[in-house]
Amino acid sequence: MRIPPRGGPLRWCAEVGLGLYRSVVLVGLTCVVPLVAVPVGIGGARLAGSWTAGLDAPLAVRMLATLGEGLAVAFWIAAALFIVYPLTSRALARAARRCAAEWLEVRHEVHYRSVPPVTRMATGAWWDGEEYHKTEREARRRAAVHARFHDPQLHWDGLWAVVASVTVLPVSALPLLALGLGIYLAVTPALLGYGIALIVAGLLAAPFAWRILRPVATRLLGPVPRTRLSRRVEELEAIRADLTQAQAAELERIERGLHDGAQARMVAMGMSMGAAEQLVDSNPDAAKAVLAEARATSATALAELRTLVRGINPPVLAERGLVDAVQALALDAAVVVDVLTRVPSRPERPVESAVYFAVAELLANVAKHAEAERVTVELSYATRTLTATVEDDGVGGADPAAGSGLSGIERRVHAFGGRLEIDSPAGGPTRITVAVPCELS
Amino acid sequence: MRIVVAEDLFLLRNGMVQLVEAFGHTVVAAVESGPATLEALLEHRPDVAIVDVRLPPTFSDEGLQAALAARRAVPGLPVLILSQHVEQLYARELLADGHGGIGYQLKDRVLDAEQFLDALTRVAGGGTALDPTVVSKLLARPTRADPLAALTERERSVLELMAEGLSNAAIAGRLFLSEGAISKYTTTIFAKLGVVTDDDTNRRVRAVLAYLEATGRSEQ
Repeated sequence: MRIPPRGGPLRWCAEVGLGLYRSVVLVGLTCVVPLVAVPVGIGGARLAGSWTAGLDAPLAVRMLATLGEGLAVAFWIAAALFIVYPLTSRALARAARRCAAEWLEVRHEVHYRSVPPVTRMATGAWWDGEEYHKTEREARRRAAVHARFHDPQLHWDGLWAVVASVTVLPVSALPLLALGLGIYLAVTPALLGYGIALIVAGLLAAPFAWRILRPVATRLLGPVPRTRLSRRVEELEAIRADLTQAQAAELERIERGLHDGAQARMVAMGMSMGAAEQLVDSNPDAAKAVLAEARATSATALAELRTLVRGINPPVLAERGLVDAVQALALDAAVVVDVLTRVPSRPERPVESAVYFAVAELLANVAKHAEAERVTVELSYATRTLTATVEDDGVGGADPAAGSGLSGIERRVHAFGGRLEIDSPAGGPTRITVAVPCELS
Repeated sequence: MRIVVAEDLFLLRNGMVQLVEAFGHTVVAAVESGPATLEALLEHRPDVAIVDVRLPPTFSDEGLQAALAARRAVPGLPVLILSQHVEQLYARELLADGHGGIGYQLKDRVLDAEQFLDALTRVAGGGTALDPTVVSKLLARPTRADPLAALTERERSVLELMAEGLSNAAIAGRLFLSEGAISKYTTTIFAKLGVVTDDDTNRRVRAVLAYLEATGRSEQ
């Protein structure tokens, strides 16, 4: 339904119509609990009342009996709801979530438990993750039932159903009730005025009543608080696994670099020196040649070590910090890079290093894929977050899925609780932002 | 020459002292920290100083900062900076004052005693001795208003060697040309880069500087 943009009678009509429609939907989504609880309550109260009808006893005894009746009725209502909510609340909560997302932009990421696979044991019994069964079919059925009805999210949805029925339901039903009652009164000749007043009140309330959904949905339609924590733990575990993997790979790379490079060359140099020692008396010229060779080897070893060190922790970064290291990167880049910085002092070292390598990777990407002429790198620090933005006027279409190292950057930045934002439409310009929360030294 | 050596590693410091003394120079001070370097430079006013970039107490770029500070106090004080790695950024900072008398080389270069002493003498004479790796980086940089566009391939290679601080004779030797040809090239290079001074050493430094200026600085 399209709402006309500006105010005016047409817009009001649309708003009222929309409001009424949404009220009807919300009433439909939240009326299940009362539909069960109210008849059970009324019937139960009648039945329980019949037990003590005509009871002639002191006041205290009658009060006790009434209390007992009340408790019995409450128990029946609870039992009825206990049967109904597992069957209905998941579907209703999902529908309500869709409404909240479409109407109010309140979005929740919710996960229901998935059915675990069943496995056959050596004994021939089937294990469903909880208990043994004789047949596979039985095990599957039980696993499905268990996953569905022992899901904490389902219980949380049940709580939503109960709370919504006493908050969302009455408020969103108000305009509908006012309209209905107003129309009923309006056809009664003597009460026409009251009827019209009620109809107008109902119409005026219609655009607003359904908005009760927002506060309740925000609090109760999300994931179970407990699973929110466990999700975070899962996330952190994944990050830790990534980090340890990356660290192990890095150590291996360094070890291999030293072993195959500098170490091997040192051995070669030692051998050359030994040979020179042998030759120095008998054939000085040959000894000189061997020594010259040894020196050349040492130069190569040094160059290799330099490259290795640059990959571990670039010397400029260690000596000068992030801002100057990025300046140095910009100077060495194959395209013209402008650096704008608003970072008052040095960030924490690990963050500094992560951001530096991210920027280095991004600049390398620009050189490789973007065909850009101008690149701007912007470093800034605000609200305890260090932000690096790399912008180029290239062809765009940067995609983390395309294995351009962007996913690696993302993982590294995630480890510090940061984020990577990519804005790269085909045809450019590309703007990639790395933001990491940190303290400045 | 009177030389100050600033290097924190004992072995290397000793090695350098012995090396320059073997060539008949005197080491007036051998220091091992940033503040001491600045003090020694200002006190002794050496003919040339050999300074390591990374010095205690902070092990950041103390040596470089000390050299820059000393050159602010004594313009043109000849300094040869040594480092395990060479960075364009540092080279630009060193060259920025335009006084010459600057060397910036990889520590590996010390291994070749003659080249090292040659660089030292050039710096002491007010010339430049930049490491070839840094020069190639400096001149490989893409530029906005490319002054190199005006230069021919041959002029460019002459400029590169000039930036390393070689004399016309040395450049002629490297490029297998006559010295006269090189001086012709240098004249056209100066003209194209718009460098006008009389002092030749200074002019050579300025040619490189003019080029760097034209490459445009990153805004701070």
